[in-house]
Amino acid sequence: MADLSLNLCGVQMKNPIIAASGTFGFGREYDELYDISALGGISVKGLCLGGRMGNPPSRLTETPSGMLNCVGLQNPGIESFIENDLPWLLEKDVAVIANFFGTSIENYCQAAEAFANTGVHMLEMNISCPNVHDGGVAFGVKPESVYEITKAVKQHSKQPLIVKLTPNVSDITENALAAQEAGADAISLINTLTGIAVDVHKRRMILANNTGGLSGPAVRPVALRMVWQCAKKVSIPIIGLGGIETGEDAAAFMLCGAQAVQVGTANFTDPFACPRIARELGEYCDAQKIANPQEIVGTLKSY
Amino acid sequence: MKDINAKVLSSDTLAEGLIRIILHAPEIACEAKAGQFIHMLVPDCGHVLRRPISLMAMDAAAGTLTLAIQPKGRGTQLICNLKEGDVVKCLGPLGTGFDGKDANTIYFVGGGVGVAPICGAMDAFATESSCAFFGFRTKAHAYGMTQAPCRVVAVSDDGSIGEKALVTKPLLAAIEEKRPDLIMACGPTPMLAAVQKIANEMGIPCQLSLEERMGCAIGACLGCNVKINLPDGSWTYKRVCKDGPVFTSEEVAFGG
Repeated sequence: MADLSLNLCGVQMKNPIIAASGTFGFGREYDELYDISALGGISVKGLCLGGRMGNPPSRLTETPSGMLNCVGLQNPGIESFIENDLPWLLEKDVAVIANFFGTSIENYCQAAEAFANTGVHMLEMNISCPNVHDGGVAFGVKPESVYEITKAVKQHSKQPLIVKLTPNVSDITENALAAQEAGADAISLINTLTGIAVDVHKRRMILANNTGGLSGPAVRPVALRMVWQCAKKVSIPIIGLGGIETGEDAAAFMLCGAQAVQVGTANFTDPFACPRIARELGEYCDAQKIANPQEIVGTLKSY
Repeated sequence: MKDINAKVLSSDTLAEGLIRIILHAPEIACEAKAGQFIHMLVPDCGHVLRRPISLMAMDAAAGTLTLAIQPKGRGTQLICNLKEGDVVKCLGPLGTGFDGKDANTIYFVGGGVGVAPICGAMDAFATESSCAFFGFRTKAHAYGMTQAPCRVVAVSDDGSIGEKALVTKPLLAAIEEKRPDLIMACGPTPMLAAVQKIANEMGIPCQLSLEERMGCAIGACLGCNVKINLPDGSWTYKRVCKDGPVFTSEEVAFGG
């Protein structure tokens, strides 16, 4: 059996499968189905200081081979997470990645700092949520602002800092480079693609927020292309995500240059998706006679 | 809560636009309570979201679940195409369910496909003095009345079965005659809002079962959240899948 372990920015993980933020809560619900220690990491539901109510319903709808959501970053707040959920999560043998966001550069810095004296293993800065108006993607579109916020937040981060990038830009590699130059330890991509869904009978939008973020297998080719492009430009680790449903999908992202992957929408189709994908990745490695999937990272042959 | 391969024992037409599927799902049936639901995988690839389907009946001894499904979109159409012997992935039982164990007289209110979970609630909680009020579009759409464990009053949009009226009309008449200890309701939002208004104004305890599109269905993704009133006058968002689908009529804030 292949060894799936890796060291991501100094954090030891048993496999490169990470539950994606926003689809997995803080892990408690899925832990009722299986021991979440089977995963390499968990990127927790996006957090901010003081919490947030989120958007009104309806918040999600299915689309061809995918779904749109506009949950709007509902969360109980970093303070509540640290007090009520983190101690439980740290008892699990899994890397805890604190996904966070703010409303201003200063607020982002304070949020990162709030995790300083906790056992959180990594930080994932969300500058790419398409569903909130005050913050999120406002900082993630222009390379200059990606640089500025990453530089500032890095100085307030005790843990390795992952910057999560939006695909809703003309050239994602510019933002990947900006994050690297500003000191990001890793980048994760892609967040969701902005879309809408139309109810032709009622002649109105299906989502209450009008626009939502597209995820699922529908976005996978776009995500693979972007990971492949970014991997050619940056030297920091890349965490790939976008429509991963199987171990072979995870391998595809790793061939494109991702050291680790995140699994989001697939958790809804199959609540056991994360441990299944980890198992399937091992089976793929065995069949390909690969000792550890890190060997194939970025080795995709071009035509 | 288990994710199992359930076998389709039968599939037939229950009423116009409504398919009845009986599943062999012993691991779910032995735990299931009235008002709970299962999250069914659409039997083809490409549909990434499962479909929450409420339980019309459950038989722990036989290990079966009965569902009434409206083939509304492509996903539910594919579920309704399932035939005897087919296998379908189901996660359940999920949600809170109805609670009527302390009530003597319960008035059950159902509309359309919402009659199905009410049938489950009647099997669990109906007493001799209880009564059900069902609203259907036409007689052809009617179901759930032949084996009901209490009296049923049906109304319809066109008068082809019962009175041509909204279901709240016979409900109000019955309340005037005898005030129930509890109302349980499931159906379209305008019907639930009307029942809520009656119950809240008269101070009758009332449980409403809500419907919302769902992602995970286990409480993690917050995709099915609805606005819920809190006792202090403020409000919050709660999860239909985990905190519901059954809420009290005081809690639910329609139009939020």
